[in-house]
Amino acid sequence: MFEFDVAARHIKSRRRQTLFSIIAVALAVGIIIVFMSMMSGYMSILIDSTIENQAHITVLPKEGEDYIHLYHGLEKHIYEQEGVEAVSSYFQGDAALQHKHNAEGVLLYGINPSDENRVVNREKDMLAGEFTSLENPGSRIILGFKLAENLDVDMGDTVTAQIPGAKTIDFTITGIFQTGTPVDETVVFTNLRRLQDFYGLGDVVTGMGVRMSDAYAAEDLANGIDLETGYDAVSWIEQNAEILNMLEMSEGMVYFFYIIIFSISGFGIANILIMIVMEKVGEIGMLMAMGTSRQSIMLIFLLEAVILGMAGVIIGCILGYAASLAIASITIPIPPEMYFGMDHLPVEIELKNFISAGIFAMVINIIAGVFPARRASKMDPVEAIYSV
Amino acid sequence: MSDKYIIQIKNVTKIFGDGVEIKALDGVDLDIVRGEFLSIIGPSGSGKSTLLNQIGILDTPTSGTILLNGVDVTKMSDKERSRTRNKELGFIFQYHHLLPDFNALENVMMPLLISGIKSSQAREVARKVLDEVGLGDRMKHRPNQLSGGQNQRVAIARALANKPSIVIGDEPTGNLDSKASDNIYELLRQLNSEHNQTFILVTHDEGMAAKTDRIIRLVDGRVAENSVNSG
Repeated sequence: MFEFDVAARHIKSRRRQTLFSIIAVALAVGIIIVFMSMMSGYMSILIDSTIENQAHITVLPKEGEDYIHLYHGLEKHIYEQEGVEAVSSYFQGDAALQHKHNAEGVLLYGINPSDENRVVNREKDMLAGEFTSLENPGSRIILGFKLAENLDVDMGDTVTAQIPGAKTIDFTITGIFQTGTPVDETVVFTNLRRLQDFYGLGDVVTGMGVRMSDAYAAEDLANGIDLETGYDAVSWIEQNAEILNMLEMSEGMVYFFYIIIFSISGFGIANILIMIVMEKVGEIGMLMAMGTSRQSIMLIFLLEAVILGMAGVIIGCILGYAASLAIASITIPIPPEMYFGMDHLPVEIELKNFISAGIFAMVINIIAGVFPARRASKMDPVEAIYSV
Repeated sequence: MSDKYIIQIKNVTKIFGDGVEIKALDGVDLDIVRGEFLSIIGPSGSGKSTLLNQIGILDTPTSGTILLNGVDVTKMSDKERSRTRNKELGFIFQYHHLLPDFNALENVMMPLLISGIKSSQAREVARKVLDEVGLGDRMKHRPNQLSGGQNQRVAIARALANKPSIVIGDEPTGNLDSKASDNIYELLRQLNSEHNQTFILVTHDEGMAAKTDRIIRLVDGRVAENSVNSG
């Protein structure tokens, strides 16, 4: 194909300028791949951590009711649904925890530890003690490390819980956990039976958590439970709708910046091509005289945009990959309670990011090539030949 | 149509209009015989190059018809014009217009590649033609490594590569010294007799024109003289 030969020679004849325009495209592609990798990493850490540290479905009492009575039957019914891996009922109440002169308001959760562990793996978050120590219906309590710090308590210490209505009970600390979320400061776990006794409301719960094999099927099952039983079943997607929407929106915003960055590199390509077209007016005229069609002239300059763009995209992908790896390996000193206990930037290197950055760059480069290519193809051969 | 004539120009007028209208060609009638070697002469602005551009299908007349092998080229689409230029016409300009990024051989190959011939075949043909114009030993040289006369020979080889029926030269020796100019003329003459192609040259050089088969003198866009050289 002679068009390709002519295009390649044009590029070779302007080595330095073409090198700069290739570098511009490569930098744009590289930067965007790093952005995309970080965005993917952040999104997946956020979603994974949400899916990991939260029940996929939370079932709450019917409208106008505070408790779920006869919850064993409902528990069994939900457990039998397709895709359900575990169900854990809990009783949740507000309380104040006191140790010596320190007091903190907390959410007190009564749970069955083995069920709870199956819905959310609490055991992995334990800094000290074991989550299953709560199997014992004695007055045992497990709290977050931040709360432990605030109350100035440690393993084996006793704290006094007080519920509105002035009832108090002493608990012994048998475990301390760390999740890297605000839960570390506000949530306290104890045995379900013990808490039910403490509140004196009988064998009732305030909710149940459900774990599914496929977290993304939670929405459908939650709607099913809602309709079928009348209990208020909420999926993790619905619970986090705001943050998920925000993520989607910010992704849209980021695309806007991608367009700007690629457009800047596209201008570089357009600039070099306009220079080549201006320099090669006589040559274009002669090619036309030799019988090159206007479409072929257009193709020559579009091919130049493609060659420059491709070179930029390939180098950019390599740069982006190397930079993403380098960034992923950097350990950053941030307090573990921030950002889900991350100590490095969340980078997820995904093929789809390379493909979409590459396609995006190529489309913009080809668009950048259209103007000079059209200009060349619209030339009057007589004017072009005699312009020299 | 007679098979005798390769080109028949009938009442061709070309008006350039950019505010003020200029009549570059004014009712030109001209028949060109197959295999003829003719020259078009005339003062600057007489319409020589304009006429050549109409014959070369690089431009379209304002009115009139131009028959090439009996086909009216003024009615052709842009694509057909390109194809006809590639197959039927070879161009030699005052400035050689060689592609500076390609060597002599690649430049001569270009019209063949444009017509869709395979690269290996085009290379073979281009080699032969370059040999014919006496540049067999300069094939790998780029235009900036060749003299003015040598570049013009490459341009001639390129014009001949596709074996066109008509070779058009617009002041093909205008940029050369008299010795190189004579050599180029001799070469064109020799090629004309060997291949029986039609050669149409626009020139300022009355001496060279006198050596051609026929002289067409243009004055103010009209044919003022149409004389056959007896010598």
